[in-house]
Amino acid sequence: MVMKKKASFDFYLILSTVAVLFIISVICVYGMFYFKLAQIHHLPPADKMAYMKSMNAVIAPFIIALILLLGICVPKRLLPTIWLNRFAVALSLLGVGLSIGLGIKTGLVFVLVASLGLQLLVLGLAVAGSKRLHFEKSGYWMRVGSSLIHLGIILFVLDVFFYKMPRLHLLLFWVTTGATVFGMLFCFYSDSVVRLVRRVTGKATVNGD
Amino acid sequence: METLLPLSLYSQTGHLLLVLLLLLAGFTGFSGVVNLFRSTPFLPRTTTVLFALTTIVFLGGFLWISWFHYQIYQLLPLELPEPFVQMLNRQLAAMNKGAEYGLPLYNSDAPPRYVLPLWLENGKYYFWFMCYSCMALIGHLRLNKHRFRAVLHILLIVQVAILYMKTDPYLEPLPQFFNEVGPWFTSPVQGYQRFGLFMKLYPKMIFYYNAHYMWFHPPLLFLSYACITMTFVSSVFMLIKRDLDIERLGYDYAKLGYFLLTLGMLLGYPWALKAWGPNWWWDPKICSSIMMWAIYSTYLHTRLYANKPAMWYFSSILGIVCFFAMIFTFLTSFFFPGEHSFVG
Repeated sequence: MVMKKKASFDFYLILSTVAVLFIISVICVYGMFYFKLAQIHHLPPADKMAYMKSMNAVIAPFIIALILLLGICVPKRLLPTIWLNRFAVALSLLGVGLSIGLGIKTGLVFVLVASLGLQLLVLGLAVAGSKRLHFEKSGYWMRVGSSLIHLGIILFVLDVFFYKMPRLHLLLFWVTTGATVFGMLFCFYSDSVVRLVRRVTGKATVNGD
Repeated sequence: METLLPLSLYSQTGHLLLVLLLLLAGFTGFSGVVNLFRSTPFLPRTTTVLFALTTIVFLGGFLWISWFHYQIYQLLPLELPEPFVQMLNRQLAAMNKGAEYGLPLYNSDAPPRYVLPLWLENGKYYFWFMCYSCMALIGHLRLNKHRFRAVLHILLIVQVAILYMKTDPYLEPLPQFFNEVGPWFTSPVQGYQRFGLFMKLYPKMIFYYNAHYMWFHPPLLFLSYACITMTFVSSVFMLIKRDLDIERLGYDYAKLGYFLLTLGMLLGYPWALKAWGPNWWWDPKICSSIMMWAIYSTYLHTRLYANKPAMWYFSSILGIVCFFAMIFTFLTSFFFPGEHSFVG
């Protein structure tokens, strides 16, 4: 019964992510047509910046929702459903509280850093081959890969906050790219990775995968 | 330019290759139409051979494009008259001071040369459709289902016909590039005017034509477009029939396509920072690419639950939507102004 509840929570989290991604897509399409019809490319730089700012304001709530969903998605690997609900509420409240008190940027960075910390923990447990993690799919490399992809996404969003510091921004960007690329390779081609690792080491990997 | 480059040889031989390609793809496409309406396979072995030959000719044509680009590299160096070299290097050094990304100084012993990517201008269609041909051939060999194969063959002839009629890379090679560099190599402009022309051509050569990212960002995207087309075909079949083999094939291409698309988009990011600075968000092409990536991500997420009947159809529909999002994203460069625009 507990398993069924957890699965459905996972399912609804995915549906929520799908809905947010869909809305972001719609805003992007709106942005394209507005850019063309309002001839933004012919406007002076200051007006262009104003357009970018207004579009940022339109998309911000959905990026926030996506970040929150990411924040909730990460601990689903670690916690049972009841604790996951409590965590989701606590994270949202703290994020909103910090946004009101110290500004929206601080609130968002808090949610992202919290998610990053948790995701690093999940990655560590996945690398160590922990059986306590809840994943939709089994397999050592699949889990490590999935953890790396999510770490990459969190880092990418976090990296946007550092775009005024070019060196750090680019360094974080390459870390993001590395995590995402290796994550996808491990996740999508776990069987081939297992075969490759066996060939290189000449023995079975953790969990016998 | 005719005296500097073997243009006629390239055009005539290339066009012959394209005619051969059209004939082979035409026969393959014809068998596809017949197979689509038959309950039993029509000439399966002949079709396989024809398809393989089409792909080989495609690859041969690509080698021909590579040869031509090598000729450009060898025969069209941007040589500046010696009296201007010192002045240029002083100016470049001054420009590079404090700039995030500078231009390399001019070296008279090794003047800058064009290392043109193979997917420039009409070459991009050629590369895209060649990738499709390779991927579809693998799909054809992997899955012995004549109607599925038929659709792959029909899509092949559609693409080759577009190539032949609208986007022939041989007939008038690289018109935009030659339009830009033509005055440098053909006009008698000398002195400061020539120096000014150099200053116009050199930054574009470094940040666009010779950019390392040009060898990763576009080809990865075109490879992913070919994968998305394969996912589209399998998604259409999934809507008609619950066939697990087709679904598995479609998912394999979806994974590969998503990997290539994500990597391709990510590799465009540092290039954009280098070439345009930080203020290019909300450019129409970026918007449409994010839209496509979001739909593709959604597709892969729903695919996790494809064993649920409703999700099977939902993910199939999303696979089809991904394909149209890809077409829309590609066409954005033609109909929407912005940094990626191909026109005016």
